[in-house]
Amino acid sequence: MISTRTSGLRAAAAAGAAALLLSACGGGGEPGGTTSGGAGGQTAKSGATQIVVDTTFDIKTIDPGREYEPTGQILVKALYDTLLTFADDDTTTVVADLASYQSNDDQTEFTFTMAPGRVFSDGSPVTVDDAVFSLKRLQGLKGNPSFLLDGVSVEKVDDQTLKLTTADPSPALPAVLATPSCGIVNSKLVQENGGSTDESDAAEEFLNQTSAGSGPYVLDKLDTASEAVLVKNPNYNGPQTPVYDTVIVRNTEPATQKMNVERGDSQVALGLSGDMVESLADGVEVESVPSATVVFLLINSDPAVSELTSKPEFVKAVKAAIDYDSLIEIAGRGAAQANGLVPSVFLGALEDSEALKYDAAAAQAAAQAAGATGQKLTLSFPNDIDPTGLNLTTLAERIQSQLSAVGIEVDLAPAPFATEIDAYRDGKEQIGLWYWNPDYMDPANYLAFGPGQTVGLRAGWKQGANAAIEELVSRGYTTGDLAERKTVFEEWGKAMNADGPFVPLVQPGSNVVYQPSVTGVYYNPVWLINVAGLGQS
Amino acid sequence: MSPASANPDAGRPPSGAGGGRRHSALARYVAKRLVIAVGLLFGMTLVTFCLTNLVPGDPVAAALGQRAADDPEIVARFRTEYGLDRSLPAQYLAYLGRLIRFDLGTSWQTHHAVAADLAKAVPATMEIAFGAIVGAALIGITFGAWSAYRRGLATDQVLRLVSLIGISLPTFWTAIVCFYVFYYRLGWAPGSGRLTPGVAAPPNVTGMYTVDALLAGEWRTFVDASAHLALPTLVLTLYTIGLLTRFSRTSILEVLDQDYVRAAKAKGLPGRVVFFRYVLRGAAVPVLTVVGLAFGSLLSGTVLVESVFGWPGLGSYAYQAASKLDLLAVMGVGLVVGLVYLCVNLAVDLAYGFIDPRVRVGR
Repeated sequence: MISTRTSGLRAAAAAGAAALLLSACGGGGEPGGTTSGGAGGQTAKSGATQIVVDTTFDIKTIDPGREYEPTGQILVKALYDTLLTFADDDTTTVVADLASYQSNDDQTEFTFTMAPGRVFSDGSPVTVDDAVFSLKRLQGLKGNPSFLLDGVSVEKVDDQTLKLTTADPSPALPAVLATPSCGIVNSKLVQENGGSTDESDAAEEFLNQTSAGSGPYVLDKLDTASEAVLVKNPNYNGPQTPVYDTVIVRNTEPATQKMNVERGDSQVALGLSGDMVESLADGVEVESVPSATVVFLLINSDPAVSELTSKPEFVKAVKAAIDYDSLIEIAGRGAAQANGLVPSVFLGALEDSEALKYDAAAAQAAAQAAGATGQKLTLSFPNDIDPTGLNLTTLAERIQSQLSAVGIEVDLAPAPFATEIDAYRDGKEQIGLWYWNPDYMDPANYLAFGPGQTVGLRAGWKQGANAAIEELVSRGYTTGDLAERKTVFEEWGKAMNADGPFVPLVQPGSNVVYQPSVTGVYYNPVWLINVAGLGQS
Repeated sequence: MSPASANPDAGRPPSGAGGGRRHSALARYVAKRLVIAVGLLFGMTLVTFCLTNLVPGDPVAAALGQRAADDPEIVARFRTEYGLDRSLPAQYLAYLGRLIRFDLGTSWQTHHAVAADLAKAVPATMEIAFGAIVGAALIGITFGAWSAYRRGLATDQVLRLVSLIGISLPTFWTAIVCFYVFYYRLGWAPGSGRLTPGVAAPPNVTGMYTVDALLAGEWRTFVDASAHLALPTLVLTLYTIGLLTRFSRTSILEVLDQDYVRAAKAKGLPGRVVFFRYVLRGAAVPVLTVVGLAFGSLLSGTVLVESVFGWPGLGSYAYQAASKLDLLAVMGVGLVVGLVYLCVNLAVDLAYGFIDPRVRVGR
């Protein structure tokens, strides 16, 4: 028996030793032994440089005509150029990329002149035909991003020029064209692989394996579960100057991202919450800014859903009952109060002085005037999704206690996103805690909260409910002059704070953690980070 | 000398006939198990389909973006494309029809064939699960036997405590602690993922990187893949060791009290012979069952460990599919996990037949 016991122990010891030996051989400190100089980008033995970006994947495809998820935006931005774009950290001014543009006075005709000499990754020139094909394909696929060009007609004028026309003034169109979904594809190559401008298109599989753009990088490998590998486009001749030969974007859970970037195994981490960056080790940098995500409360105006929540006094009570500063504490580093529904990064955002204020006495009085006598309401929210790292359950609990303090009692009704989204979209929630990410970099995104608009209807706020706000919505969609546009959105924001059935709460922080020697780290509301703009000091 | 003693084989059937009967009984036993397995497989598709469709929530809302879901034309197209515009029985029949051709449909999250997604995810998980179950079985059963043999002594108490700790610690917590200690603090283990960034995956044969690297003769890749494999395997092994130690100990203690064991001891057989020939063999059947079940649960229940180690396996895929109401992917995962359990149970059942003759003759 003794010998048996000994052999069992030997086996266990041998297994453990083998595992640790293999681990040690594997590198640990300097991963894989294939690279050196872990911090600030890695230099392979061949002399090529690579950078590892960790994020939590949300990706279905990298076909520009179909993609519409955050990770897809990061990758497509690096693979496909667009007609127009935004430079670095500027989120207000569109600049030329593959084309320059002019518009008529009433912003219904936009004429684009292609930049000369630009080529795709296979060396063929980027033409007007490619641009027309790409935009028509985006419209015709009827996929998630197709709505971006709803009501836009696209036509070729000549070999250098194309024209986009809309029935109504569309000052937001240039910003829309800067989204990665409007990336220009190599039409010949895509059509050879099943591409078309209608629903018969069958090029998605090809585009998930091979990029067909003129961007700074080309696709080397995509595994939607684990990683994407991009390599420098040898034929790129655009305005950017990509530094790294290889960019690896990995799917990693936030706690693991934190350890990876602190140890230098990754150079950039995109998924750390405000709380997590508070405890970062020395030796890494953080770019913390309020994100363009707006977390808000929806208070249903439909008496059929709730008599109580449909009363204006009740909405006023809720707006005054929230201690906004305490919510920012929960959201952590980088977070800020959402002064209005338009987040601070966009034209027309409200100043701090215009934000909603906590006033317990006013809230109590308004609650009594509304007839809130302790009857239970339901606060619904998705509990399996953390917009920009913010835990909605914690936020909902804090809101519940603050409302209770002024006599408004709510039961929390957390549910998985996939099940709760139905009630939200159908306008059946009494009070909802939700968030809104921008589809493109223009404040017109947020007009969806107006009466009779997409999100307004979810709050039971129908067309005709508030004529003054509807007038501002209409002007917001059509006003082209920048100064006037700014005024319109500010007026709209103030009116929404005063009379809208929404309570803008917080803009969670966007925290990009990176090695000190990495440069060019800028947060973007749509594509989060431009990996082609990352450099090395 | 009696006639019987003059011929020791008198009264026994000829060996060939006896062997034939034994083989025939075994064949009937195997055939019966296979028929049951096919029936279970069919039942499993029905149960998976029903459960998946009972989940509240519209997959369209989960799959499409907020703006696209407001466009009736896009919604109608989506429903048609995935057959969601048909009645549930029609959808089920269509699913069975595709299943016969080994087509599990297309995931509306990854836009890939579910079978192709599973072909990548399953080997990744298998790679951890195989290592974990082999290690855990070797160590756990050894510990269990040792603990039973030393019943009531200090060794027994220590092993019971260790196994209790192993079972009680949540695997995700163990995973985070192991990752923190061995990777972050000590730097002994590599970071997350199946390979170090920049190391190319070996040519795909089995989908298990260690095996594929060996087959391709890519030694550096093999070492790198093994190093990445070590920590997640260790975490799952630790949990399973606790389970197997406790169960083996209990089973062996039960057998130790059996009359035939006491009789063997009374006959004066050495303790080692009694333990290995009588006790361990008697305890093997229930232990084998638990090993099989543990392997199944390793394949289906590693989601949190995979999450910590950035391992793109079946658990991660299942979680993503379930959280986004990707019904075909959920059904695909359910089917694969069910199939694994069926195969493991079948293998265990067949092993019973070899280990314990009473099982194969139906006694």
